[in-house]
Amino acid sequence: MFSNYVSVALRNLVKNKLYSAINIIGLAIGLAACILITLFVRDELSYDQFWTKADRLYRLNTTFSIPGREPFVTVVSPGPSKGALERFFAQEIDKVVRLQSLTPVIEIGNALYTDEMIFADPTASDVLDFDVVAGDMKAVLTDNASIALSEKMAHKYFGDQPAVGKVMTITNYNLKRDYRVAAVFRDLPHNTVLAIEMVAMIDENDWHDQAFLFDSWFSVNNTVLFTLKPGVDISSVTSRFDAFADNSIEMPAELTGGKGASAFVQFGTTKLVDAQLHPAGLGEMKPTGNIATVIIFASIAGLILVIACINFMNLATAKSTQRAREVALRKVLGAGRGQLIVQFIGESVLIALIGLVAGIVIVEAALPFYGEFIGRDLSFDYTDGMTLAILAGLVATVGVVGGVYPAIILSGFRPAWVLKANKSAETSGSAALRSGLVIFQFAVSIALIVGTSGVYGQLKYATTMDPGYTKDNMFVLHRINRKGAEERRDALKAEIQRLPGVVSATFSGDTPGSSDENNTSVEIPGQENTGTILIGVQDVDHDFFKTYQIPIIAGRDYDRQYAGDSEPSVEGLKEGDVVNSNIIVNESVLNRLGFGTPEEALGKVFMIGRGNGVKNALTIVGVVPDVHFQSLKTVKRPEMYALDADNYGNLTVRFTGDPKALVSGVENIWRSLVTGVPISYEFVDEALAEEFDQEEATATMLALFAGLAVFVACLGLYGLAAFTAERRTKEIGIRKVMGATVTDIVRLLLWQFSKPVIIANLIAWPVAVWGMLSWLENFPYRMEAWVLGPLCLIAGLIALGIAWATVGGNAAQVARANPIKALRYE
Amino acid sequence: MLKMHNLSKIYRTDEVETIALNNVNIEINSGEFVAIMGPSGCGKSTLLNIIGMLDNPSEGDYLFFDENVARYSEAKLANIRKRHIGFIFQSFNLIDELTVAENIELALLYHDIAASERRDRVAAVMDKVGIAHRAKHMPSQLSGGQQQRVAVARAVVGNQSMILADEPTGNLDSAHGQEVMEMLQGLNEEGTTIVMVTHSPAHADYARRTINLFDGQVVTENLRAA
Ligand SMILES: Nc1ncnc2c1ncn2[C@@H]1O[C@H](COP(=O)(O)OP(=O)(O)O)[C@@H](O)[C@H]1O
Ligand SMILES: [Mg+2]
Repeated sequence: MFSNYVSVALRNLVKNKLYSAINIIGLAIGLAACILITLFVRDELSYDQFWTKADRLYRLNTTFSIPGREPFVTVVSPGPSKGALERFFAQEIDKVVRLQSLTPVIEIGNALYTDEMIFADPTASDVLDFDVVAGDMKAVLTDNASIALSEKMAHKYFGDQPAVGKVMTITNYNLKRDYRVAAVFRDLPHNTVLAIEMVAMIDENDWHDQAFLFDSWFSVNNTVLFTLKPGVDISSVTSRFDAFADNSIEMPAELTGGKGASAFVQFGTTKLVDAQLHPAGLGEMKPTGNIATVIIFASIAGLILVIACINFMNLATAKSTQRAREVALRKVLGAGRGQLIVQFIGESVLIALIGLVAGIVIVEAALPFYGEFIGRDLSFDYTDGMTLAILAGLVATVGVVGGVYPAIILSGFRPAWVLKANKSAETSGSAALRSGLVIFQFAVSIALIVGTSGVYGQLKYATTMDPGYTKDNMFVLHRINRKGAEERRDALKAEIQRLPGVVSATFSGDTPGSSDENNTSVEIPGQENTGTILIGVQDVDHDFFKTYQIPIIAGRDYDRQYAGDSEPSVEGLKEGDVVNSNIIVNESVLNRLGFGTPEEALGKVFMIGRGNGVKNALTIVGVVPDVHFQSLKTVKRPEMYALDADNYGNLTVRFTGDPKALVSGVENIWRSLVTGVPISYEFVDEALAEEFDQEEATATMLALFAGLAVFVACLGLYGLAAFTAERRTKEIGIRKVMGATVTDIVRLLLWQFSKPVIIANLIAWPVAVWGMLSWLENFPYRMEAWVLGPLCLIAGLIALGIAWATVGGNAAQVARANPIKALRYE
Repeated sequence: MLKMHNLSKIYRTDEVETIALNNVNIEINSGEFVAIMGPSGCGKSTLLNIIGMLDNPSEGDYLFFDENVARYSEAKLANIRKRHIGFIFQSFNLIDELTVAENIELALLYHDIAASERRDRVAAVMDKVGIAHRAKHMPSQLSGGQQQRVAVARAVVGNQSMILADEPTGNLDSAHGQEVMEMLQGLNEEGTTIVMVTHSPAHADYARRTINLFDGQVVTENLRAA
């Protein structure tokens, strides 16, 4: 019995080549997409599961709530939080470790490098696991002149020689020290949110000049991890975070107005295993994913598979006429309906199995490219029980879902009728269901096309958005505040300005594409009790506005002829002293301070603190529009542009002509003037575009899978068109005898398949628009919603065009056939 | 009305070559009622299809109203056909998914005729063949005789001057066959040219002339006195 089923099934597959090909190709693609996406999803879900203490490993997050602006939400924390956590949560928390990521200049012999290194507390080896392959990690974490390297870095610096015992001269800020390599550890797997390539011990005595690293509650730059004591519930920590903040942080009274610190600084925590998919704020060590992307792609995988299953159902029922006789005969010979259902489902499982094998071939072929594209080394492990279970589950699901309806229809044919009438026993119900399913397939495809083009639209919008200055033809030179460069910075600027093609050059603290924030609290004389007003500070140079081409809308630019423009030194001053200087602010500052129009604001004065109780009275001399100076992803904020030569880290150059010539000119100057600091530069437009690399990758992936969905849907449509035309030959013959031309017939057939596509549009549009609108909510600056209208229309036309192209060839062929052939035998 | 001169039709498949019509010379005048008889496979349907411009002859000439259409393209033939010729088939060849009225309307659909006029003409012809009460029914709900009446209605609704009927009574019992023959006779009396293939000598008697085919050749032509 069974072998009879199998041989009938195989013979049917061979006999109906088109039918088999469409089903197998469709399922293969659907399953391949499913497997690829599943690999990605599983990888995303595997982040940081490998730490031994993963089940009680948490990260501390810090949010600054500054009145009058968006909260500043970070996944990093102030340096003093370690000791404070240990004290306040002595009952709950086991170990705390800070990971401070710095980018020093590294000298090994004559070679110079700048790479990221981690300064960590000695608890690092309790909280995390390092797989040490040479040397001793404990030794590294207890000696401030030792360093541990990952195998990758050891190889980078020392090639095949053993790294342990080698010396690296490392300069961080003004600390230059020879570190001895005391341990080499295996590279961390890629599925962690932590980036740790080099580890040295935090010795706070080394950093007294950089209090912001470990000693300030108001600066966040440490990744702080902690483990709970076994059996402790995290809620016993989170519920007391406010008390923790109030208890640990001493806020300047003039800032709080009597409130506790928790009104301004809030702590939160993310279990490290959740960090990859539930990003909680700024300051991640590397780009994270997010759960929405995972859900979206998982859904797409499911939808592609459903589309392939629908092909299966549709083709099987459309072709059922052919099987009707077999069914009738089997029934006459005594087969029960149940047996027939089992036989047909068995056939579909067989097809699914063949599809799976083909799908796995596709996966293996695509995996290297796919892995490279998503930047991960993914592999498909056949020995993994979970993988096998998923595959078996897929085949069973596809086989049964795709097979059950045709099986019920086919097995339901009544033998007497089929054998006597010898014609299609098709019910109108199954034809209606078929077009319903085609509508579904196309609705999904259209929605995916709209979604993909919407994502691209937003990307285009974001990357071409006017930041408020002219981003083209600008070049930023970093690291000019490094020891070895800082001393020569004025000479550097002067030389670069002499290069041909250089229009202007200006120093600044931050540059486009960075996301650091620097805020200061402000008061208006005579209105000291209005509460805290915090305003962003950008440290700039003369010619800043000229170089960036930011217009001055009221007042004037900074000018070298006014000494009062520069931020004055406060050295030697004492509490209560006041210095004066001029300031340029953006329009939001005026709103925030209630200074009226730009013209009215000129000459108005506000105060900032300069440390040690010294105050600086700032007189507004110029107003500029709000611009996206740093990140295009953050909301514009009130900002003042202080002429402060102490905080320059970068030099921005506006140029005309060939960028390559400029780069080589700058490189020459750097080499001749700077020693011990490798050059680092980027073009402003590229730096801004880079912020959207991840969105771009997501968009590409979306386009790929949307394309696959459309392709599989079209495969099905093609098969359906072929079979329908086959069934309609008599009708087409009659119409032709009645005088219908080839064009009339083609139009008729196209219309038959246009109808479901048009209905699919009507379903897909609202869904896609709703989805896109909610997705766009994620962006503070988004493309205008009306753009979705044309996008929908275009997606609809694309779908219709593809459907026509798919069906058209077949329709034309059918329409050209001589009608007498169709009408001869009836 | 039409004239065939040394007309042949040869079907070539991969191996076999079938001579379906061999040097046929026929002339049919307007208003005639002609029956074509002969054993199965002798080429009757082939001849009717060529007369009806559903197919081209392999050799020879076919003059339709003095126009040699033997080598006309499919599109050109379709254009002449839809204006002049109506068809009736043994197996009725109605479209299962369309109602009786829609099936009849089909013959007007590919002419430039306004929807309202189409409706009027369909209604008139349904009255004439006596199936008006079945207008909204599907073909599968009708008896064979009724279906063939629908087919007759469809063949004449466009005021075609010639009707080609390929064994129109072949699937009908004798009473219904008789009915259809009387309908055809009535149409002929109104001036429609009728060419009909039949196996029934009794039905052939309705025609004024009988052409006997054998192996693709015309063997005799009998004229019946009016
Ligand atoms: N499309 C075709 N291809 C090949 N041979 C055909 C075709 N149509 C008809 N024939 C052959 O031509 C001969 C005449 O057929 P036909 O005109 O249908 O005969 P009749 O209608 O007299 O029974 C037959 O031998 C038939 O097999
Ligand atoms: Mg015949």
